Amino acid sequence: MSQRPKIPSWNVLGLLPAQLIMLLTLIIPVGIIILVSFSTRGPYGGFDYVFTTAPYKQILFNEGWSGELEFNPQYLIVVARTVILSLATTIICLALSFPVAYFISLQKTSAKMLLIYLVTLPFWVSMIVRVYSWIIILGNDGVIAKTLRALGLGENMGSLLFTDTAMLIGLVYSYIPLMILPVFASIEKLDPALVEASHDLYGSRLTTLRRVILPLCRPGMAAGAILVFVPCLGAVLEPVLLGGGKTMMMGNLIQLQFGAARNWPLGAAISIVLMCAVMIFLLWRGIQAMRKEGREEGA
Amino acid sequence: MSVKTRLSMLAAASAFSLVASASAWAEGSLSIYAWADSIAPDAVAKFEKETGIKVTVDAFSSNEDLLTKLQAGSSGYDIVTPSQHFVKIMIDSGLLEDIGASSMPAFQQILPEWQKQWWDPTGNYSVPLAYGNAGFTVNRNLYKGPVDSWKVYFEPSEELKGKIASLAQPDEVIPAAQNYLGIPYCSEDPKEMKRVLDLLQAQKPFVAAYSSDNIENRIGGGEVAMHFWWDGNTMRVRRNDKANVEYAMPKEGLVGWLDSYVVPKGATNIDNAKKFIDFMAKEENATIEYNYYGHSSPVKVDASKALYNKENAPELFPTAPVKMGQACSPAAQELVTKVWTQLLQ
Repeated sequence: MSQRPKIPSWNVLGLLPAQLIMLLTLIIPVGIIILVSFSTRGPYGGFDYVFTTAPYKQILFNEGWSGELEFNPQYLIVVARTVILSLATTIICLALSFPVAYFISLQKTSAKMLLIYLVTLPFWVSMIVRVYSWIIILGNDGVIAKTLRALGLGENMGSLLFTDTAMLIGLVYSYIPLMILPVFASIEKLDPALVEASHDLYGSRLTTLRRVILPLCRPGMAAGAILVFVPCLGAVLEPVLLGGGKTMMMGNLIQLQFGAARNWPLGAAISIVLMCAVMIFLLWRGIQAMRKEGREEGA
Repeated sequence: MSVKTRLSMLAAASAFSLVASASAWAEGSLSIYAWADSIAPDAVAKFEKETGIKVTVDAFSSNEDLLTKLQAGSSGYDIVTPSQHFVKIMIDSGLLEDIGASSMPAFQQILPEWQKQWWDPTGNYSVPLAYGNAGFTVNRNLYKGPVDSWKVYFEPSEELKGKIASLAQPDEVIPAAQNYLGIPYCSEDPKEMKRVLDLLQAQKPFVAAYSSDNIENRIGGGEVAMHFWWDGNTMRVRRNDKANVEYAMPKEGLVGWLDSYVVPKGATNIDNAKKFIDFMAKEENATIEYNYYGHSSPVKVDASKALYNKENAPELFPTAPVKMGQACSPAAQELVTKVWTQLLQ
């Protein structure tokens, strides 16, 4: 057994900047949010450091209109809507990204670079501007409505803007580059010899895709799914600008608590619940990946 | 671009910004947080030229945003412009600096009816800059019917499905609904507030959007036929963009507001802030501001240079009663939130 070289203690100091950044930008802020979520709300917003678990109870139980405390699913409905919309966005992104990434990977190197650059291009523009542009596209005088009218279709069709569909389009558009890039990376690493081998063994195109290509690209797809699903859970802009603010997602609900509702502790509690949900999701993925690795090593 | 050139450019850029901010420090600076497009840029430029003070103006679009920012502490702003009920909340919560406004020259310019009102009884915290009211605006290309009651807005006819828009915040929408139902503002009676919720829920299928941004395009461009909006903004879109819009005069009452200059507690440039407030209250500058903002002025303006009068700006001279928005108790605010959350859940 070889002895591991001893790390001189000052090397640990070298990591200090990273640790400081983690402490200042992650651990302390999250600590503050947790603290606020267990505090008592101030009469006009803000909070007092008096310990209470009321904000967490409020997520499920509220005073009804007649005055008694009752189970109220109003926040759970928002949570459910958020999860469903995020899942839908992830699935649509996945379905759209795979062919795009595959197509890019088949190009010459120079074209490949250009196409990847084009995929990342939207990130150079502010998120608000990008989402706003969809207002123009989907609006009554937008490209889509005008084209449909010119074709004599959609005369009686209502506006596309301010619908759940518009919200979903906005979410998919905002986050799809985060899916294309990791999927592309895993397709790039795909060994063409394996695809050829599959064909040599009389695997049809569909079988090759299903049994060879997709399983090998799974890590990229999983990474993309996480990158899309997690920020979707916290989306604020799309529901307001494209959904018309008619229904809330969790981000809007949290915003409402810190703004008009003047209930910071409840807003903090909902944030913590959202954060825990994301962590559980990621842990579950991590454990799955670890088990899989273990199986493969055992095999 | 090589990493090296990029780095040197970054260094140059940061050096430049350091120099720029240093020169701003030398003459003093002033940062203002005001309603979007509410402060006349001409007046600001004139102030900068006269005093050498560098002014930056950021925008907010709701009183709640502003209150949250101040409560979070060290906002970095020297002047903010909340509405009357939020001035009261901010004074009561100790968020504002006592600038002794009642002994400032600006105070002498305030019209008597707006001095030392219930939101600032000593008159020491605030100097008003504009007042007006919230109601609804119709696009006359799309809606030809009467506009003398909140009924057409809250209980619209079938052809207006998906053609109505409301605001993103309950702050003025709920008082308007209370006016229509004959319920007092800030009601603490759950039964009364349930009626407000029922009214808004019945209206929801007709509502295209609950949004406080980009209103001029939505109503002026005809995306919707009716929009919850303010008097002066309607007048500006009608005059400047030649939009065929009309501001309703609902007999049940409009929701009044008045915005004031106040100084947040702990502001760094209090003297500059007071200079700016005095400057803006001077008759000629108040006139520039009035002509730009297009909301009624609570300070004296030069009538010979003022652009708006009863004939060309009827929006600013309401024929319907105006009821000023109130600062609600926490219990009443809780009911307001409950209505809004259940409406949008």
